Amino acid sequence: MRPLWQIFRVILRDQRLSLSRGAVLSFVVLAMGAALLGLSGWFITAAAAAGLAGMGTVFDVFRPSAMVRFLALGRAAARYGERLLTHDATLRALEGLRLRLLDGLVAAPHGRMVRLRAAQALNRLTSDIDALDGVPLRLVLPVLAGLATLLAASAVLWALVGPSVALWVFLGFSLGAGLIFWQTTRQTASLSRRAEAAGQAFRARLIDLIRARGDLAVQGRLTAQAEHALAADERRRLLRRAQDRAERLAGAAIQMLGTLVAAGVLWLGISLVRSGVIAPAFAALGFLTALALAETVAPLRRAASDLGRMAEAARRVSRDIAGALPEERRASGTTEAPLCIDSVTLHRVQSAVPIIRDLSLTVRYGETVALTGPSGVGKSTLLLAVAALHPVAAGRITLGGLPVADWGEAELRRAVTMLPQRSALMTGTVAEALRLADPDADDEALWEVLERAQLAQTLRGRDGLQTMIAARGSGLSGGEARRLTLARALLRRPRVLLLDEPTEGLDRPTAEAVLEGVRTYLPEAAVLIAAHRAAEQRFADRTLALS
Amino acid sequence: MTEDTPDRDEARAEPAGGAEPILAAGRDRLRRAALLSVLAALIWPLQAALVAHALGGLLTGADVSPLTVALGFAALGAGRAILGVLSETQSQLAAETVIHAARARVVAQEARRAGDSPFGGAGSLAALAGEKLDLLAPYLTRYAPARARVMVLPLVILALALWQSWAVALVLIVSGPLIPVFMALVGMAAKEASQRQMVEIGGLNDLLVERLSALVDIRLLGAGAAVRDGFAAKAGDLRRRTMAVLQIAFLSSTVLELFAAIGVAMVAVYIGFSLLGELSFGSWGGPISAQAGIFLLLLAPEFYQPMRDLSAAWHDKAAADAVLKEMEAWQSAGTDSLLGQGGRAEPLPGAPAISLRGCRLPGGTTLPDIDIAPGESVALTGPSGAGKTTTLRMIAGLVVPGSGQVRVAGQELSDATADGWRARLGWMPQAPHFLNASLRRNLTLEREGDLPAALTQSAVREVVEALPQGLNTRLGETGGGLSGGEARRLTLARAIYGGPEVILADEPTADLDSRTAQAVIEGLMAEVARGATLIVATHDPALAARMDRVIPIGAGA
Repeated sequence: MRPLWQIFRVILRDQRLSLSRGAVLSFVVLAMGAALLGLSGWFITAAAAAGLAGMGTVFDVFRPSAMVRFLALGRAAARYGERLLTHDATLRALEGLRLRLLDGLVAAPHGRMVRLRAAQALNRLTSDIDALDGVPLRLVLPVLAGLATLLAASAVLWALVGPSVALWVFLGFSLGAGLIFWQTTRQTASLSRRAEAAGQAFRARLIDLIRARGDLAVQGRLTAQAEHALAADERRRLLRRAQDRAERLAGAAIQMLGTLVAAGVLWLGISLVRSGVIAPAFAALGFLTALALAETVAPLRRAASDLGRMAEAARRVSRDIAGALPEERRASGTTEAPLCIDSVTLHRVQSAVPIIRDLSLTVRYGETVALTGPSGVGKSTLLLAVAALHPVAAGRITLGGLPVADWGEAELRRAVTMLPQRSALMTGTVAEALRLADPDADDEALWEVLERAQLAQTLRGRDGLQTMIAARGSGLSGGEARRLTLARALLRRPRVLLLDEPTEGLDRPTAEAVLEGVRTYLPEAAVLIAAHRAAEQRFADRTLALS
Repeated sequence: MTEDTPDRDEARAEPAGGAEPILAAGRDRLRRAALLSVLAALIWPLQAALVAHALGGLLTGADVSPLTVALGFAALGAGRAILGVLSETQSQLAAETVIHAARARVVAQEARRAGDSPFGGAGSLAALAGEKLDLLAPYLTRYAPARARVMVLPLVILALALWQSWAVALVLIVSGPLIPVFMALVGMAAKEASQRQMVEIGGLNDLLVERLSALVDIRLLGAGAAVRDGFAAKAGDLRRRTMAVLQIAFLSSTVLELFAAIGVAMVAVYIGFSLLGELSFGSWGGPISAQAGIFLLLLAPEFYQPMRDLSAAWHDKAAADAVLKEMEAWQSAGTDSLLGQGGRAEPLPGAPAISLRGCRLPGGTTLPDIDIAPGESVALTGPSGAGKTTTLRMIAGLVVPGSGQVRVAGQELSDATADGWRARLGWMPQAPHFLNASLRRNLTLEREGDLPAALTQSAVREVVEALPQGLNTRLGETGGGLSGGEARRLTLARAIYGGPEVILADEPTADLDSRTAQAVIEGLMAEVARGATLIVATHDPALAARMDRVIPIGAGA
């Protein structure tokens, strides 16, 4: 329950005004509904009594009937306002939560980022957040408004009909609803949580199936993966069936609760009339008010059924947004002093196994240094550490005299650009892919970097900057994709450029031309290359062998 | 385009394309649900009559037993609740059947495609098969029963009203039909809004899946803020679309509530004045009785209620229609299907010779005729985009040639032979995708074999042993957590695990430094020495030089 409350507080903080107004309006809707029915019942019965007594001409018809019209129209209007207000506020709050989650993912440590599975992160951002709309809309607001209405209506019934009726209505509804809610959630909490988990597993497995379709087919695993996905859905179906059953029973119980409370009021009311304590019109008022108050407990059905799913989503989301509090870095370095790697030791990701020990290196602006050594020796890790995406276990990496870890994120990214080994391209045009690096770049600038990356010629033969890239960069060959991501990195015009095997998949003449292009485009940059090709090593001013 | 097989021919004959057969699975249960829900609703007039009788009796001084009335009211209410539960049982089971069947259809068809669906990416399809199909449930559980109630209950209540007072019946007749007219108008607006919302949901999911796969690049390019803003704008659009749908729903239910309120108020005013003796028309012979007045007042709201329920369900219908339309769009987005099922099969018998005769690539170029003998090692070379990868995929039965023939082990590669052929293949794709499972399962894929040997031969054993959780590690989708070379060697281990007879490797030495590339080449050559056939698509002259033969593909051929 605590995560639910935590999430509600976040939502409330975001949309306090709208939600408080919505809460007041929810109360107004319920109270007017109860008043409307109670008044109508009283009005008709009292009118009948007056007619029977021959007092029809002196009975005041207009004030009650005006009141009935006011309540009927007012309730409809209030309900419209309440729904718009609370839904809009909730959707806005959820949008805010989604953005905070995304922020958290973008700012996550590199080790977590590369292991992140898009399908699961997507579940978090869509399914989990969607589940949370029930927290204000179906749980907190209805319960608060329902309780307030019950209290107010009971007070009125106490005054007009009698304490016994008032107590019966209040205790009947509040205790009955509490009992039903408790009983239902006892069953559904784990059912709905597990059903949601199975649903998310289905989505993740389907995404795996679609993304690795070819591989799975060759390995004879495609049908098995399809069955694997359907097994998750089957599990979800059985869980949902049990959950639906519990929800149906809860619905029937809530309906019976309304019937029983109304029947009890009927009994008490008729008895009071027979013993001469109240007029028949007030018995009708009590009965119809009780009927209307059933609306205060009706929303509990969905709330009880979904509680487990909401609580689980709230737990995951509040964990991820809690971890995502933006770390404020105050310092901002200058790029006067060169890149200095000073007796640095690095560990493998999430372990204490050293991969680089006591390494020192200075790269001046305008200089190119190639790191060499076999795969797995730590070239990429060192580049990541320079880009402040990998922690430094010992020693310092400074740029402009300031440790890179102390740089402000935006300033550091302006100064340092890294082309990672596996660089991703997204669906869209070549121009869009490039403008990810610089949204304000004009076409001329884009053509220039493409020229430097030896890609301009190829693209002119297609649709130029409007050449489409399909999902995950398909539509381009491996070498073309490599050159495009390199061009994208160049567009940042960094002072320090970190290249992880930049000419992979390129033939030798192209590789040499591309490297020349890098130097021509950025004559003043410090370039650090994780190099394994002879072309890359020859291009460097000096090489440093890691081992 | 693949043939999906609907269970009934009759379902297939329906003109509405894919939409109707999807719902056909739940039809009988829905009929039962509708009947039960009408029966449940018919109990309320009985309860109303009981209450009217009791309250009216109090006014005229008749002897009314409070216990009998209360018990009668509660008993009828219990009957109503029970019928309601039975009705919902049927409709929820119907919804469950329909949704599960539709989901199975999506999975089955996606598992048969040779390439990505033009309908959308993995995110869109997951949204369609996941949350969007779930939107059929409210429609099935609410709309069908509400429609049945609309057809029966207003008429029953009208008849009851007419029996007591023609004036009340007249009020109901006049105000009632306005509602369906209004509802139809609203329904049209709601439908359009729902469709726009659906498209937005799918698009947002696709956008997110891609962005989430590219987080590292986004961060390194300092594009976090821009991507966030782009997402914020999209999410804002989706919220506005959702609110547009909700606004129509809220507005229409408010208008209906007003109609109902005005109708009930008119009935109440008429009854009030009649009971006071100020109106003397509208009833049959003599003034309206107190019982009849209270009875009519309790019935009047129920005259409008089914129509209000239906109007609430109209929006569920609009959402469901939008989903069905998407399903139709998805079904008509055809691609070639791959050969065979992609499942486990008995290996195809015969020596694994391969021959391609006059095969045309999807791009239009025709490949040279290729013959590869068992045990041979061959490099496919050529400029980027020439079709080296496609040729490998063709040999694996993942791409069907536009014309020409692929023969493997002496038989034509077809639906019947493809799975058996692939059971003999080892496959090393250019870009690995690791499933959401342990590294061990990703490597063995539930086949028999010697994993340590495969890891050693791929020069990746130490790397795996150095992982904090070893073979139990879960890697990122593209091998995140390892270097590119390490991930590449893992795919080699996966390809040679289990001793395949033919190994197809797409750029096996790309991304690798010369020492690692050498290790991979040696790993592959050890397979050749074992007697396996090896076909590589490569740019790497060092690798091509080690092969028995080089086959140029494309322009340079």
